[in-house]
Amino acid sequence: MNIIVCVKQVVDTEAEKRLDPTSWRLDRTVPNILNPYDEYAVEEALKLKEQHGGQVTVLCMGPEGAADDVRKALAMGADDAVLISDAALAGSDVMGTAYALAEALKTMSYDLIIFGNRSTDGETGCVPAAVAELLGRPFLSTLSKMESDGTTLKVHRETDLGYVAYDCPLPAVVSVAKGINEPRYPTMKGILGAKKKPLEVKDVAALGLDISKIGLGGAKTKVLSARTAPPRTAGTKIEDDGSSAQKIADFLAAEKLL
Amino acid sequence: MSDKKGILVVAEVGQDRLANVTLESITRARELAPEMGGPVSAVIIGSGVAALGAQAAAYGAERVYLVDDPQVATFQSGLFTDAAVAAIKAADPALVLFSTSADGRDVAAACAARLGTGLLVDITGLELRDGNLVATHPCFGGSLIAEKQASGDLVMATVRPSSFARSEAPVTAETVPLSVDFSPTSLLAKVTDVVCENLGLISLEEATIIVSGGRGVGGPEGFKVIEELAEVLGAAVGASRAAVDAGWKHHQYQVGQTGKTVSPQLYIACGISGSIQHRAGMQTSRYIVAINKDPDAPIFQFADFGVVGDLFEVVPRLTEEIRRRKTGA
Ligand SMILES: Cc1cc2nc3c(=O)[nH]c(=O)nc-3n(C[C@H](O)[C@H](O)[C@@H](O)COP(=O)(O)OP(=O)(O)OC[C@H]3O[C@@H](n4cnc5c(N)ncnc54)[C@H](O)[C@@H]3O)c2cc1C
Ligand SMILES: Nc1ncnc2c1ncn2[C@@H]1O[C@H](COP(=O)(O)O)[C@@H](O)[C@H]1O
Repeated sequence: MNIIVCVKQVVDTEAEKRLDPTSWRLDRTVPNILNPYDEYAVEEALKLKEQHGGQVTVLCMGPEGAADDVRKALAMGADDAVLISDAALAGSDVMGTAYALAEALKTMSYDLIIFGNRSTDGETGCVPAAVAELLGRPFLSTLSKMESDGTTLKVHRETDLGYVAYDCPLPAVVSVAKGINEPRYPTMKGILGAKKKPLEVKDVAALGLDISKIGLGGAKTKVLSARTAPPRTAGTKIEDDGSSAQKIADFLAAEKLL
Repeated sequence: MSDKKGILVVAEVGQDRLANVTLESITRARELAPEMGGPVSAVIIGSGVAALGAQAAAYGAERVYLVDDPQVATFQSGLFTDAAVAAIKAADPALVLFSTSADGRDVAAACAARLGTGLLVDITGLELRDGNLVATHPCFGGSLIAEKQASGDLVMATVRPSSFARSEAPVTAETVPLSVDFSPTSLLAKVTDVVCENLGLISLEEATIIVSGGRGVGGPEGFKVIEELAEVLGAAVGASRAAVDAGWKHHQYQVGQTGKTVSPQLYIACGISGSIQHRAGMQTSRYIVAINKDPDAPIFQFADFGVVGDLFEVVPRLTEEIRRRKTGA
């Protein structure tokens, strides 16, 4: 079973996020990490490989530095990686990102493509569905369980009420929810081995991408401005002296919340 | 100049009714329509959903497209995308609004990819400025507010629940049944089971009030007091990551950076310290009330009303107090 996992390098959750005041792009010169959601995707791919054999390939679009986090996926156990990197891609929006990933995927062979549910910096959760559509493959998102016999997929898709179970033939595209598994930590051997695994960097020319569809220039959405949200301030604070329940209720009543 | 006209809302169907976010989007669409021109329409996708058309009309949808088909009784992204695209082609609108939910994102992203448009994701505001649509979007957990815009004569957006007010404005709607030729690819994935463990549960994204518990709740049994308060308030129950990681609540309850982003009218945080990551998921709530026994808990720095006290004392008393006021006893 050949599986491709799409991973993104994201700005560390702890880092302060700043937008460049001219391009309104995210300042990526801060500490970066592998998108936490994508670790679940990598783990799920490795589990399927353990059952069925085959190859797990990591695909990432990002600046050259993203190779560091792609290596983390290799250290977890993925076999090889492709990094799409080109200055012309910077500033791509959801559709630009999906287009570039889909074009790269069209040159690769796969039974299954696994995404994380969302990235913690872009936070759109829209890239996976857009890629599936561009590839013309069936798509199932937000999976909390996944099994395969090598030709079909049996999955649970999380809903607010519980889950919906689906059967789907391969090849297919999926995205996984947080908690579908417990991602493994790379071992020392894995980390050392990852340095020797193939990581191919491809640019826009190598993939024959249409420049009018990518980067800041090709983006069909643009950020006009961004401002810091007005800070929330502390309101009333009281010690509980036995009457606080009434006081909360009074506050709720005064704000017409009851 | 494009001759695309009007606004189409792709409805989200909740438990036998239209989701609030759909009614909110129809309300906002109605306010924008005079300046944008053209009708406000909605498309309802499901099985046995014809009656919901009346609900859309009650909020001002002048035209209701119905894809009423047993094949779309349960959400399936390919089939729902085919249905939404059929409605977009029939309505030929200038703007399509989806919900920022798992289903809404799947369908919106696929529609945008199929029709080659841009997609404004997770907007909380939408207005016309010099004839152009400008959307508001709180990003990075609400710490930054961005304004964004999409180019092209067809704009698509997903709307975050609770962003717009909803108000009724009944019209007599024209009902347009659509029969959809589902694509062979879309038909590949088959629903084999629908499991509703939480029937009647109020979804976090849709809730007007949320009562959340954190590590301070102490264990799964501790959530009982949280649930009782939620019940008298008609609220949804939430949890911090600490409570979820401890296994006290399923992660679908988690609010925050790696959980759900919520914007209710009222968020009551019980035994939650108020970490940056938790805050990221709830700081756009209209009012925040916090109950925490640590007077230095960061949550007090941004709660509108804070009580320093033991949640096992305060919460049950609050439940009683609210029950008393609601029943007028
Ligand atoms: C406030 C805000 C709101 C947004 N709203 C929307 C929206 O509504 N709709 C929408 O479609 N998009 C939107 N986007 C953009 C979308 O979220 C991007 O796809 C997201 O991944 C973040 O992009 P970025 O700001 O990090 O820009 P960039 O850093 O330029 O990233 C864009 C993508 O390109 C990659 N990249 C960067 N440099 C390179 C390189 N040298 N080679 C290869 N790849 C590279 C990044 O890894 C990322 O995936 C928004 C972005 C921001 C900041
Ligand atoms: N630049 C990228 N390169 C590879 N995969 C990506 C990229 N951006 C997003 N993805 C994938 O799409 C998922 C959802 O991301 P997003 O739509 O940005 O929230 C992520 O979890 C990744 O699996």
